[in-house]
Amino acid sequence: MKAAWIVLPALLATASVAAAAEPASPAAPRGVGGMCGVCHSEVRVQFEQGIHRSEGIACTTCHGGDPTATTVEGAHRGGFRGAPRRRDIPALCASCHADVARMRPYNLPSDQFALYQTSQHGQRLAKGDPNVAVCTDCHGVHEIRRRDDPNSRVFPRNIPSTCARCHGDAALMKKYGRADNPYADYAAGVHGIAFLKNGSDAAPECTRCHGSHGATPPGLGDVEKVCGQCHATTRQYFLEGPHKKAMDAAGLQECATCHHHHHTPPASVEMLDRVCLQCHAADSAQQKLAATMKTMFTEAAQEIDRAHRLVEEAGRIPLYVEDYKARLEDARTSLMESFPVMHALNPSRVEPHTRRARSIALEVSSEIHAKLAGRFWHKVGLGVFWFYLLLTAAILVRARRRAAAEGQR
Amino acid sequence: MNGPEKTALERRGALIWLIRGFLSLWAFGAGVLGLSFLRAPSSERRPGERQLRCGSFSSLAVGEARLVRAGAEPVFVVRVSEAQITAVSAVCTHLRCVLKWDRDKGTIQCPCHDGAFDRTGNVLSGPPKKPLPQYPAEIRADEIIVHT
Amino acid sequence: MRARAGGRRSFRTWLEARLNLTEIASFLSVFGLLPAELDTRKPLREALDEALSQPLPSHARWPRILGILSFILFLVLSVSGMMLSFYYQPTASEAYGSVTSIARDVTAGTLVNQVHHWAATLLLLILAARIIRFYFGGMYGRSREVIWMLAMLTFTVATFADLTGRLLPWDARGYWTTVRAREVTDALPIVGPVFSFVVGGPGLDSLVLTRFYVLHIIVLPLVLLVLFYLHFSSARRVGLSAGAAPPSNRSLRVTLYDLLLVIVFLIGALVTLAILLPQPFDTAADPFTTPPGSRPPWYLLGPHALLESFPPLVPRFLRGAFLEALFAAVLFLPFLDRRSGERPGRRPMAIALGIVALLLWAVLIWKGWHLEASR
Repeated sequence: MKAAWIVLPALLATASVAAAAEPASPAAPRGVGGMCGVCHSEVRVQFEQGIHRSEGIACTTCHGGDPTATTVEGAHRGGFRGAPRRRDIPALCASCHADVARMRPYNLPSDQFALYQTSQHGQRLAKGDPNVAVCTDCHGVHEIRRRDDPNSRVFPRNIPSTCARCHGDAALMKKYGRADNPYADYAAGVHGIAFLKNGSDAAPECTRCHGSHGATPPGLGDVEKVCGQCHATTRQYFLEGPHKKAMDAAGLQECATCHHHHHTPPASVEMLDRVCLQCHAADSAQQKLAATMKTMFTEAAQEIDRAHRLVEEAGRIPLYVEDYKARLEDARTSLMESFPVMHALNPSRVEPHTRRARSIALEVSSEIHAKLAGRFWHKVGLGVFWFYLLLTAAILVRARRRAAAEGQR
Repeated sequence: MNGPEKTALERRGALIWLIRGFLSLWAFGAGVLGLSFLRAPSSERRPGERQLRCGSFSSLAVGEARLVRAGAEPVFVVRVSEAQITAVSAVCTHLRCVLKWDRDKGTIQCPCHDGAFDRTGNVLSGPPKKPLPQYPAEIRADEIIVHT
Repeated sequence: MRARAGGRRSFRTWLEARLNLTEIASFLSVFGLLPAELDTRKPLREALDEALSQPLPSHARWPRILGILSFILFLVLSVSGMMLSFYYQPTASEAYGSVTSIARDVTAGTLVNQVHHWAATLLLLILAARIIRFYFGGMYGRSREVIWMLAMLTFTVATFADLTGRLLPWDARGYWTTVRAREVTDALPIVGPVFSFVVGGPGLDSLVLTRFYVLHIIVLPLVLLVLFYLHFSSARRVGLSAGAAPPSNRSLRVTLYDLLLVIVFLIGALVTLAILLPQPFDTAADPFTTPPGSRPPWYLLGPHALLESFPPLVPRFLRGAFLEALFAAVLFLPFLDRRSGERPGRRPMAIALGIVALLLWAVLIWKGWHLEASR
């Protein structure tokens, strides 16, 4: 409060200026901050950028006190609460945000507090852990912005960095027995690269899998449901295959066992060489099944590659290859479709897709070979042309010789 | 002029005509080459005339779509209403899979990663970022023509 | 048979009474295809007989075929270019499509296209070879200054014709080659702005393409035609080699057969090159992506390397001015080197200088090629 004493003359001066400017209502608290902003000017600047200011929420709504008082003591009297303690913050916010009637005009949900209490954050807070996230850690303290404000910490693009404020802190995570760094892992995985680097809004940020207010790691049997929100086809085939039951029984995290939950590598057929060995022996029937699927896929992929190169080669000549390009796209689609099907772990279901891809590619290759063979006839034609040309030259040489002989005579 | 000399002359004359005939093949060849070069290619293959004929308009029910495979990219022709059609590319903007028409939902679905587009090509859900390219379409004498 | 021959003759005399066929045929000699002058007052047959029995003029004797070869190539380019223009569309949006359509959908389109390409390449090589031969043969001395300058100008105009042709397909290679080539021309103090003015600005868009097209198919060919005419005219006046040629007993008729043989083998070479070594097609030009390794065309690689090998302090227009001074020095060489008319053995300095210049040129081309690879 020392600082307040120092600025007191300034406060009095400002107050008198304000009184001179507004003689009609000298005591009325102008603006939402009332007199609070005179001392707490930095806070006031932050607060005025937030959403609460325009909705008539004042400092006193959360902090109590008297906004009309012109002395420091007077202002900090009358139900003044000061800065709320961390563990009181959720309940404080909930005093408005859990009120259905008050939230209705804004079309805001009112169940966040209830959700929060079920989350890992909420449960640990209830046990007295001071480190876990409360409302203000993600939404800001005074500068609480709308979710669709790009400067907001909870704007979808900013969510990974907001979560990383704690979950990217290795020292803090160590306290909870976590050796990994979820944020770094996410950023290096296929989703993180798509979201952070390539700017894809379709790629998930943290809350798409974990939820926001009710943030909790998905339970053991639920990983496929979470991933299946986007990878619906893959999930369907996974559920039809034998892994679902077996993994649940063994306590394995379904999708994450092979694909890793944060550091998800781009799916590739080469994964079949590695991931199965985590559980199955190298000479087991299961590994052989994986090898079969991989062979099917790579054979088709190679055939498409070969056809693609031929199409490119023919296009450079140039031959008309647009139709072949369209058919190769078709083949690639079939090949892509075989990826989700592989999760059913049944080669006979993968086979129709890879076989179709392969047969289209083979067809295209053979047709282009036939077209390229047409170029062979160009060379035959060139031979005939040269035969004809040399014969002409012979006639000309003969005629020339005769002309030379005549000239001599 | 006696006999053998005459035949020698005749043979010589024949040879000269043979040679002339042979040499005139050059002109013939050049003429054939020139004329075949001048023969204009069929209308579909003329530059700047990339029009796709997408079948009859009346046989396409309202709310139905038709996949047309021709040229470099397959195209979906959707009859939006009684008189209106739209044409969008049928190649997913995510990983270039060829899309499928979902009759029940009236959307275009990707079989690979479950991306979904509406009938004008906007992304509804799934991994694709960009909407499907749309092509101008018109109806000429009950035939749908798409300009790709 | 005799009656038909007589009939033909009578038709010729009928026509001859109405048209001066000899004068028309003398056009052949104007462009060196007939290395003799026809007496236009006499009827065609008579004038031809007279000309064909004449001894050969010195400038038409073997191995003086580079000039005539270049003109034949010019004719081949004119005919194939005219055929291509039946299909080509000179707008940025349609150019690439029309060129691929020529090569793909038109019967013999690839052949015509590739013959055009190879004839252009051979023309430039032959024009360059002609300059080199003139230099080492000392054929730029007294009274032959104009021939030398015309050879230089013909080569320069032909390179411009080639340059404008490279952009027309609007493919990635042609587009970026042109961009890099304009980097060189823009450095030249007066030529650069004039060229930029003529083609309609420093960028490359549809308007510039149309202007390149008009330059390529009308303006520059006409200039080339005039230069060829002047060249042959001057060659007829002064002859090519120094000193009086010994009288030849070989008649013109024989030379005409030689010429026909040359034409036949030239066409054979062009068709063979077109079929066995076709220039592969590149993708359509994308003004927003520069493909790696795009360079100026080969005849500008030397100037390009020269421009880049100055110390960085020298401003670009000074480098361009130096290039222009070099060009002017070569163009006016006959006035600078007064001993040029003599035999090679009698002017060792000039021969040595020529060899050094050629080697330097080769090194500059090599350097210009590797300028891009090293970046």
